[in-house]
Amino acid sequence: MRSDVKDVIRAEEGEIYDVELDVNILRANERLAEENRKMLRKYGVRAIDVMGSIGSGKTSLIEKMIVTLKDRYRIAVFKGDLTTTIDAEMIAKHGVESVPINTGKECHLDANLVSKALRRVDLSRFDLLFIENVGNLICPAEFPLGSEKRIVVVSVTEGPYMVIKHPFIFMNADIVAVNKIDLAEAMGVDVNKLKRDVRSINPKSVPVPTNCRSGEGVSEVVKALGL
Amino acid sequence: MHEYSMTTQIVENVLKEAERHEAKRVVEVHLIMGNLTFLNPEQVRFWYKVLTKGTVMEKSRLRIEMKEGSIKCRRCGYEGNFSYEDDPLYHVPIPTLLCPRCRNIVEIVEGKECTIKNVKMVV
Repeated sequence: MRSDVKDVIRAEEGEIYDVELDVNILRANERLAEENRKMLRKYGVRAIDVMGSIGSGKTSLIEKMIVTLKDRYRIAVFKGDLTTTIDAEMIAKHGVESVPINTGKECHLDANLVSKALRRVDLSRFDLLFIENVGNLICPAEFPLGSEKRIVVVSVTEGPYMVIKHPFIFMNADIVAVNKIDLAEAMGVDVNKLKRDVRSINPKSVPVPTNCRSGEGVSEVVKALGL
Repeated sequence: MHEYSMTTQIVENVLKEAERHEAKRVVEVHLIMGNLTFLNPEQVRFWYKVLTKGTVMEKSRLRIEMKEGSIKCRRCGYEGNFSYEDDPLYHVPIPTLLCPRCRNIVEIVEGKECTIKNVKMVV
């Protein structure tokens, strides 16, 4: 950068400096996410993002996965929500450490909030961390948190266009749980079409039909996560 | 979305730089915004005007250059604008990570940035 050369040569009064900054504002979150990733790796903790629409079944999926995995992993959950601790309490009843992250008026979790939560727990006590994001199919896509894998949960009760209307979050998804399949017929929604929509946007993404109330499909999600 | 917090950061960064150079006033800020960020340039302009009031940035020109999203395929080397597939059922172009040439998965190389490129100021 030539700005230090400009500092030596004195400018005349009223002269216009053209200062090249090249500062990407969005990089700040990415850098923090990388720091989070390093910290998690240092303690051997596998972190999984769980994103999805409001009411799609994120908490239910996490609960069902906890039941399956708690004998093999020491699990913690970060739960991002606007103000309540209801879901965090629901998860805590499984005997799993749960940290509620109140996002205030923000509509997504960011790497900064996750970083604060990571510092608040003793990471040496865990090897698996679920980070549940705020119900939102738009904003979380822009804010990586430092996790190893990302799950997006949608449900048939949101209608047939949910996937194609929000392509960018699916581009970031390793696994997509298509939940509430028991209601697909009542909704007139074709689960296979939703799976194909996911694959058209991101062929690397694995769509898994689930019913998080009964537990159907949860073991496939767990397998797809490599757990 | 998030135009307010994004513009706040833009203004903070420019003010810091202006202070470093002891600028009397800022004339122009050149911003490059990728198409794949969910930022609406009109809202950014609105917040820019609000947030620069009473500062050395007041009445400065905000030049927003939009950048198209671009992708690169590691397998066949294809580089180009973001790819869209036409869904025969919905007749809607759906953005895709599929390489239009070899159907491998591409990576997004441009379009996700919000960069303050340069700032013109009067010292």
